[in-house]
Amino acid sequence: MPIVAYRLLVLGVTTLAVVAPLSLVIYQSFLTAPFFDPTAKAGFLAYSFVFADPDFWQAFWTTITIAGGMAAIAVPLGALLAFLMVRTDVPGREYLEPLILIPIFVSAVVIAFGYVVAIGPVGIFSTLAKDLLGFVPWNLYSLLALIVIAGLTHVPHVYLYSAAALRGLSTDLEEAARVSGANPFRVAINVSLPMILPAILFAGVLVFFLGFELFGLPLVLGDPQDVLVLSTYLYKLTNKLGVPSYQLMAVVVVAIIAITAPLVFMQRLLLRQAQRYVSVRGKGLKTQPLRLHGWRWFAFGAIMLWLFVTVVVPLFGITLRSFVVTWGEGVRLLNVLTLDHYRELTDYPNVIRGILNTLGIGVIGGAIAVAWYTAIALAVHRWNSGWTRLVDYLVMVPRAMPGLIAGLALLWVFLFVPFLSPLKSTMVSIWLAYTIVWLAYGMRLVSGTLLQVAPELEEAARTAGANDLRVKRDVTVPLIKYGMLASWLLIFLIFVREYSTGIYLLGPGTEVIGSLLVSLWGTGAIDLVSALSVVNVVMIGVGLAVAVRLGVRLHG
Amino acid sequence: MVDLTVKDVALRLGENEILKGVSVVVPAGQVVALLGPSGSGKTTLLRAIAGLETPFRGSIAIGDRVFFDAARGVELPAEQRGLGLVFQSYALWPHRTVFDNVGYGLKLRGVSAEKIKTRVGKTLSQIGLGHLAERYPHQLSGGQQQRVAIARALVYEPPVILLDEPLSNLDAKLREEARAWLRTLIVTLGLSAIHVTHDQVEAMAIADRIVLLDAGLIAQEGAPTALYNEPATLFAAEFMGSNNRLDGKLAENSGGRATLELFGERLFGISRTKAAPGGKATGIIRIERVRCSSTPGPNRLKMELKAPMYLGERWELVFARDTLSVRAYASAPLEPGEHYVEFPSEALWVF
Repeated sequence: MPIVAYRLLVLGVTTLAVVAPLSLVIYQSFLTAPFFDPTAKAGFLAYSFVFADPDFWQAFWTTITIAGGMAAIAVPLGALLAFLMVRTDVPGREYLEPLILIPIFVSAVVIAFGYVVAIGPVGIFSTLAKDLLGFVPWNLYSLLALIVIAGLTHVPHVYLYSAAALRGLSTDLEEAARVSGANPFRVAINVSLPMILPAILFAGVLVFFLGFELFGLPLVLGDPQDVLVLSTYLYKLTNKLGVPSYQLMAVVVVAIIAITAPLVFMQRLLLRQAQRYVSVRGKGLKTQPLRLHGWRWFAFGAIMLWLFVTVVVPLFGITLRSFVVTWGEGVRLLNVLTLDHYRELTDYPNVIRGILNTLGIGVIGGAIAVAWYTAIALAVHRWNSGWTRLVDYLVMVPRAMPGLIAGLALLWVFLFVPFLSPLKSTMVSIWLAYTIVWLAYGMRLVSGTLLQVAPELEEAARTAGANDLRVKRDVTVPLIKYGMLASWLLIFLIFVREYSTGIYLLGPGTEVIGSLLVSLWGTGAIDLVSALSVVNVVMIGVGLAVAVRLGVRLHG
Repeated sequence: MVDLTVKDVALRLGENEILKGVSVVVPAGQVVALLGPSGSGKTTLLRAIAGLETPFRGSIAIGDRVFFDAARGVELPAEQRGLGLVFQSYALWPHRTVFDNVGYGLKLRGVSAEKIKTRVGKTLSQIGLGHLAERYPHQLSGGQQQRVAIARALVYEPPVILLDEPLSNLDAKLREEARAWLRTLIVTLGLSAIHVTHDQVEAMAIADRIVLLDAGLIAQEGAPTALYNEPATLFAAEFMGSNNRLDGKLAENSGGRATLELFGERLFGISRTKAAPGGKATGIIRIERVRCSSTPGPNRLKMELKAPMYLGERWELVFARDTLSVRAYASAPLEPGEHYVEFPSEALWVF
């Protein structure tokens, strides 16, 4: 097969997979009824209906408030955390890094459930507080709590980009300032901060953007007091009118994408800006970290407190809940310990299928997804052509579609295209949705690996007589093998964690833990939910442990 | 064996025109060095010949096999040109043993496993690495890696072997040994080769002919002796060898002789300019041709010895007068103070 055919095939299939769902959504938004309804006509009826709904505008402003609020919390904390971890002598820095990244890898619904059982009105910590103080000093079901939790759980995202920027910064620059007479604090303010400002700005826009993708947290924490964000508004719309109101949902989806797409584009521009300084790398000298003296343990304590609130409280809560029958005032935990909830899991064939499917989508689906990402990356690798731009933009399209939306759009594709319908109730649909949603992430992982292949190694094979595809097979792919394995592990973690993408595709045969959790939560089966959450966390924990053991970088 | 012909090749990388029309012929069995400072386009020309860069004008052919012809829209991909290329970084595949690195080109040509074994074995023993076949590249020294890279390019007997600064990654001492070894290998095997280098000594040592490039154009080409002894331009004169530069006024210029006026004194030399007398001119003389004397005389300037430097096999002396600084070699150090520095007229070029 000549290289041209290979490129055409890979890019054609990818374009179709990315563009079809989006086009269908846009098409649907301009119909007056669901696309399968013969009475559907073209028109703006759906738009005028949605834009006239005060709930929509309420959800819109709430989303903006939450996204802005969480960015305001996550950006300074994340940047500070990065500075402490990269540049100072905070104790135990080597061990803290994987812990800091946990919130990225644990499903947001699990964290939300954890907060409900830990610090909800009857949560374990709330009852404890009530016993001690006589009242509960916090209210989980408030917009403020939602913003704070969303902000705290997104600190790692800011941390990652700020830390990478700090590490990429040549230490010569800082040392030059030290030698010129600046004290460490002034160096941080006058040299380091301005140099990583573009990266921080990028992270800020990223977090704001992730605010529009929030689904698990507002669904679980906002619901009891009817706080709706755009994604939960969309979710509620499914049941609101009784009949499938696809045209209304499509309008909401278009509205969300109209906000996220520019944000994605902006991130792209900012990322380029942020990488401007990274090229001036130092020689990798181990530099003396900034000594904090007495503040060392204070800083350590602050990091621990953040970890406690963001990781320990919800995970401890959900784990404990899965092992007890009940808790409350006057209940001694030792008397109510039980394994029944785990036994109960096996009573539900769909739950068993969900667990197996989740493992399958992580291990096998993850491998196939990485293979696909690699196929795309190889198609544009060393391709000196304007068409590589197309791939850049293709990758951005699904990035602007939060998982919930991508799942919905794909469901419609399966309903719309007759010969695809049989696949709707198989894991193929889930795999396709996951692979499209994580296209940008996966491509970044694989391209990052490809970047490390020196061009001469491939050119040497060309001059030795190998054609393009042969070079890729004999030289490029063997050289990126380890990088592909690492990508597989990370994609496994992501796929096992994923919950929102599978929600609309959930049905007999397509159960995965994430979407099951959301649907079980709706039925109030808290025992099952907590046990299943722990199963999910354990899977991710094992994956993370393997990744850390193998020395895989946890960020692309 | 056939000649490699490069005709009027011009090439752009992004906005920059790297090659502006270069023509080179590599006769069969000869070694041609592409010499020039960095940015002169020598590596780009080599890559264009190999098929790794695409010119927008000109043609490249070996015998009557056309590799590239912009006018006719012919472009043979790199893998179909059958040339051997040795990279500056060696570019040995780290996931393959020495044997597999060298044997890959044969495997691609459908040679049987048995024949690959004998041919790779033969090539490796030619370069003196027969015992290292099962090693991986990272287990070899820099010099060994460089030989493997050469073996890999030689094994399928390409009509021309292209060498991209193959010695520049070796340290100074090893480089001189490798230079002698490489020249011997090329002569013994009767190879045609293009050797890219920025080191004029290396170019003179290895090549039968030197093509000197400057900013994408050929400044001069010819045998090493011609380039060294009869530079056509100021650039060629300054690039080859170690030189003294004398900036002065052109006093006379006729019949192949020129007179340079400097500090009110006259120095006679070989004319390399067509300019009329009266303008500025530059005299160039190789350091080793400068002589020192204690008495005045023709073509001598009174100068002050500033710093004698001991180089081991000889002394280097730095003389100065106003802004002019002249270097010369001597077998023994001179006393500091005033001396007369002679610029023999048959060794002084006036541009």
